[in-house]
Amino acid sequence: MDLDPRQYENVAINDNDIHNIVLSYLIHNCYKESVESFIACTGTKQPVDYLEDMDKRKRIFHFALEGNALKAIELTEQLAQDILENNKDLQFDLLSLHFVELVCSRKCTEALEFAQTKLSPFGKEHKYMEKLELPMLQDFMALLAYKEPEKSPMFHLLSLEYRQQVADSLNRAILAHLSLPSYTAMEKLIQQATVVRQCLSQEAGKDGPPPFSLKDFLKS
Amino acid sequence: MENSSEALGSKGLINRHEFVRIIIQCLYSLGYSNSASCLESESGVSYWSNEFQLLESLILNGNLGDCIDYLNSIKDVLGETAESALFLVFRQCVMEYLNCGEDALALGVLRKQVSALDVDKYKVHGLATCLLSLKDRELGAVVGSGGDVVVHDLRRKLLGDLEKLFPPPIVVPEARLEHLVESTVTAWVDACMYHSSSNTVSLYEDHCCSRDEIPTTTTQILTGHKNEVWFVQFSNNGEYLASSSNDCTAIIWKVLEDGKLTLKHTLCGHQQAVSFLAWSPDDTKLLTCGNTEVLKLWDVETGTCKQTFGNQGFVVSCCAWFPNSKQFACGSSDPEKGVCMWDCEGNVIKSWRGMRMPKVVDLAVTPDGEYLISIFVDKEIRILHMATNTEQVISEEHPITSLSVSGDSKLFIVNLNSQEIHMWDVAGKWEKPLRFMGHKQHKYVIRSCFGGLNNTFIASGSENSEVYIWNCRNSRPIEVLSGHSTTVNCVSWNPKMPQMLASASDDHTIRIWGPSLKKKKAT
Repeated sequence: MDLDPRQYENVAINDNDIHNIVLSYLIHNCYKESVESFIACTGTKQPVDYLEDMDKRKRIFHFALEGNALKAIELTEQLAQDILENNKDLQFDLLSLHFVELVCSRKCTEALEFAQTKLSPFGKEHKYMEKLELPMLQDFMALLAYKEPEKSPMFHLLSLEYRQQVADSLNRAILAHLSLPSYTAMEKLIQQATVVRQCLSQEAGKDGPPPFSLKDFLKS
Repeated sequence: MENSSEALGSKGLINRHEFVRIIIQCLYSLGYSNSASCLESESGVSYWSNEFQLLESLILNGNLGDCIDYLNSIKDVLGETAESALFLVFRQCVMEYLNCGEDALALGVLRKQVSALDVDKYKVHGLATCLLSLKDRELGAVVGSGGDVVVHDLRRKLLGDLEKLFPPPIVVPEARLEHLVESTVTAWVDACMYHSSSNTVSLYEDHCCSRDEIPTTTTQILTGHKNEVWFVQFSNNGEYLASSSNDCTAIIWKVLEDGKLTLKHTLCGHQQAVSFLAWSPDDTKLLTCGNTEVLKLWDVETGTCKQTFGNQGFVVSCCAWFPNSKQFACGSSDPEKGVCMWDCEGNVIKSWRGMRMPKVVDLAVTPDGEYLISIFVDKEIRILHMATNTEQVISEEHPITSLSVSGDSKLFIVNLNSQEIHMWDVAGKWEKPLRFMGHKQHKYVIRSCFGGLNNTFIASGSENSEVYIWNCRNSRPIEVLSGHSTTVNCVSWNPKMPQMLASASDDHTIRIWGPSLKKKKAT
């Protein structure tokens, strides 16, 4: 690290701020017991029904992660009807998770029916058929052509990483709906440090500080 | 029934069956179906192969399973096209199942049979998307109440696709007879060294232009000059010829309707030899200059001098007009004076002076006005793209004496002291030039030009008193014209009368050349 450590000493940090940062991380990820014991230890105040919401969110997140998209959708709609209506991309992603489940359990005829009824309405909109960041409808349909979809070029759609991605998006959408931050303060702080360092090194050229590395930072 | 493996043709190279089949195809495509089917029955040769006819009946009857089996049985004959053909038929199966609501069966075909084929994966994925809805783009048609008709249309389309896919002999390639004839005609034209006519080549005779098409004999000798003639050039409209001489004059000659030339104006006023001239693109003005002379602008109609540019300090050695006939570029024979752009009133519009700007030997602007090409005494050719101001440099190994651009602005030729003429492309994409040789050039400035319709020929003067003509396809001359008694300095090919060539010589004369026989053209 090139920056002089003594410069840090001039920055005062409030304990409360630190507690909030940790708490926001725990709440975001629905670590209920950790949240409870953290609050007990530090005496930080929280809104009254946060536990209830957190429970619901946790269940929804896990259903999505497992691939039980229909249950996740049902519970989300119970929580708030318009979350998915206002977020069509997310709705498509969740429905596609169910489709993938059916394909993996080799229930192909059911999968085809499901696609024809639930997914084809999305087919009318170009962005689900053209090449964009979203996985295309065509990629999902193509899974049907393979007896062993795990060996197809679209195998990543069956992976845990993909489900994690969808579950995270869902989590963020729900948090947004509850007027809570969609990204944890911790994440935002690290992103901030990285971007600021990038700007500095771009402007200062060779003489500027190196890019921000969390690993190095934690070791120093 | 004739023996179908009999050989035809004077060398026995033609297979009778194939020959008749190709003729039948041609008759069908010309719209003579009656004749075509008549020929089929008379000769016993069927246009459609047995294999294709079988496939046709299987497909139109919807017997796709048997169709697939049959395709598998003729895999050897189909070669590389077998998998694609199978894909097309399986695709049809999927479509037909979807059409009658048998989605599960359609899915089955896709999973079991289509994905086993060795075809492009994207085709398979595209087919999978069809399963979503029949109203998909793949089908291109809305399946509604006209269900049966649509299926029939789809089957017809499948046959059409297969016809385009299959190799011979199952299917005859499209327009085969036309292709065979055109290949022959193209080969004739390519081999024809004197080819310059724009007429369609007749099929009745093996085409070969005779040397009577190009100028080969002297038709007139012009003796207007009193000293060595250094430069000749026809006007752009081919109606005039301008010549310039060591006798300090330039002469404008008129080309009469019968091809003879008469003197129109003698342009006097220069103090020294006139070694270069340039017609304005609209042929109303003529620029003359010399290696140690100023630049003069003349009006062609009256033969009077309108302007004089430069003075003893600024000597212009070469010039070139821009397409608007109002501006021109000129190069100086003084090093460091560079290349300038002037307008007709004498105002300098632009100048290109480098830190190291050697003497300009020759200059040309392409007829489309896009490029300015300059030749420098250090063996460099610089091609300047006017619009973007970017320059390309070609370095030659020997001194260059002259430059000539083709009428279509695509090519140019330079004469080198090494007795070669090099042709380059204006766009600068060629790595090596085309070379032409056979003439003599060691010491003097010798000029060459493009000629003939489509610039198929090159002509050049030579130090051995002869005029040389090449076909651009060949580096050796096709004609060597004798007549002059000493060095031929410059040639010009009439752009509107491709059978007229002019040459200027140190023997004080200009010779006009034309074809050797005066043939009466058949109507």
